[in-house]
Amino acid sequence: MRTAGMMGRAAEASPRSKARITGVFYLVTILTGVFAQGFVSGRLVVDGDAAATAANILTHGSLFQLGFAVYLIEMACNVTMTALFYDLLKPAGRSVSLLAAFLGLAGCVIKTFSRVFFIAPLFVLGGAHYLNVFSLEQLQALALLFLKVNDRGAAIALVFFGFYALLTGYLIVRSNFLPRILGVLGILGGLGWLSFLYVPLGYRLFPYTAALALLGALSLVLWLLVVGVNEQRWREQASAAGNWRS
Amino acid sequence: MNTLELPERIAEASPRFKARIAGVFYLLTILTRMFVEILVRNRLVVSDDAAATATNIMAHESIWQWGFAGDIIAFASYIALTALLYELFRPVNRSLSLVGTFFSLVASVVQALSSLFHLAPLILLGRAAYLRVFTDEQLQALALVFLRLRAAAYHNIGLVFFGFYCLLVGILILRSNFLPRILGVLMALAGLSYVLFLSPPLVRSLQPYILVFPGVGQISLTLWLLVMGVNCQRWKEQASIAGK
Repeated sequence: MRTAGMMGRAAEASPRSKARITGVFYLVTILTGVFAQGFVSGRLVVDGDAAATAANILTHGSLFQLGFAVYLIEMACNVTMTALFYDLLKPAGRSVSLLAAFLGLAGCVIKTFSRVFFIAPLFVLGGAHYLNVFSLEQLQALALLFLKVNDRGAAIALVFFGFYALLTGYLIVRSNFLPRILGVLGILGGLGWLSFLYVPLGYRLFPYTAALALLGALSLVLWLLVVGVNEQRWREQASAAGNWRS
Repeated sequence: MNTLELPERIAEASPRFKARIAGVFYLLTILTRMFVEILVRNRLVVSDDAAATATNIMAHESIWQWGFAGDIIAFASYIALTALLYELFRPVNRSLSLVGTFFSLVASVVQALSSLFHLAPLILLGRAAYLRVFTDEQLQALALVFLRLRAAAYHNIGLVFFGFYCLLVGILILRSNFLPRILGVLMALAGLSYVLFLSPPLVRSLQPYILVFPGVGQISLTLWLLVMGVNCQRWKEQASIAGK
């Protein structure tokens, strides 16, 4: 009795339910990212206009604060998804999967840290007495400068997510338990993000890259949620790779 | 002779020993953090007073530098603790243990990067010739802005991710057979308290009570790991069931 109970408690989830959980976290990552970027950052930040940006942030202070929290939830889901996806893709190639997870984790750290520059405008625009030594225009410029740094931090992360998508796409193509087309779409999206290696190019291509990456990501998420993985083939590939238990 | 020695040298440390070492690193983290927060930052930083903060930091520059050292030691030992706990909890659930480890790594690196902003005032207030284009008051204000950024990176980002980590550690303890459940409950509550740092206004209204659970949970787990370690036999049972 006791050992049976223990086994139940210690048991790992099946590959299919792992795939579904990964899909859920992936989906929430996408949704929160789109919300924070599109409905908070995109609405309140006016490119090149420090005064308008500052006015927007101050009149919609709680929305801005919410955007920050949602950004962090996005990254928390991204971190979770990265760890779970590592497990899922391990049978297709353990070393490559580990490499992908490390690159993904690096992207998450960079993006998470750059969010401190997203919240920074609230400090410089907050009207603290000690900031009276700067003119209003200087503080507004400083706020927009911080927002730009936040943006460039996210751009660095995108390159790492590009490498991540390339490697995971390659693993999906090599796997027997997920359809190849999902891997191909992932690789194309990953190549798109690499355009941020030359930042101006990255920003110019952004609408196309984002559309392509979103298509790939949403198809993968949908597949993971609805179909999961082919459990039998997953176990076959895992035992062939000899790493099912390690 | 040689073959007899070999197995001993490659043998893994026992889970109890690993747990105790984890306890040592946890204690080191807590002590260095308390040192930096109480004896360095709380003493020298005067909130909303840029001039007083600048005067304090420059008058106690070496204490400020030691604060930096304490910060880095705390983050490094937390990373060591994270690696040891990953091993310890792997038999309970490898995926959850890995997710937790990733959270802790993100939190540790973000907090270590926040030390960049701890050092910024020393550069701004160092009276370098090229900075004379700003007035003294402006430089002091900038120094305080950077300290605000440090606090945001440390608390509003770092602690949130630590919160997710503590929550997962709590769940792993609850599902394990080798640590008392009450520690799991306490760590989960500690984690949930830290996650509340997502909302700075909420945290401000709950100060200082919000730190009760994190304090109680982490100190109890540290002491348990140091004094009792883990139940070795049950750990090995669970590990062999998990197939590793």
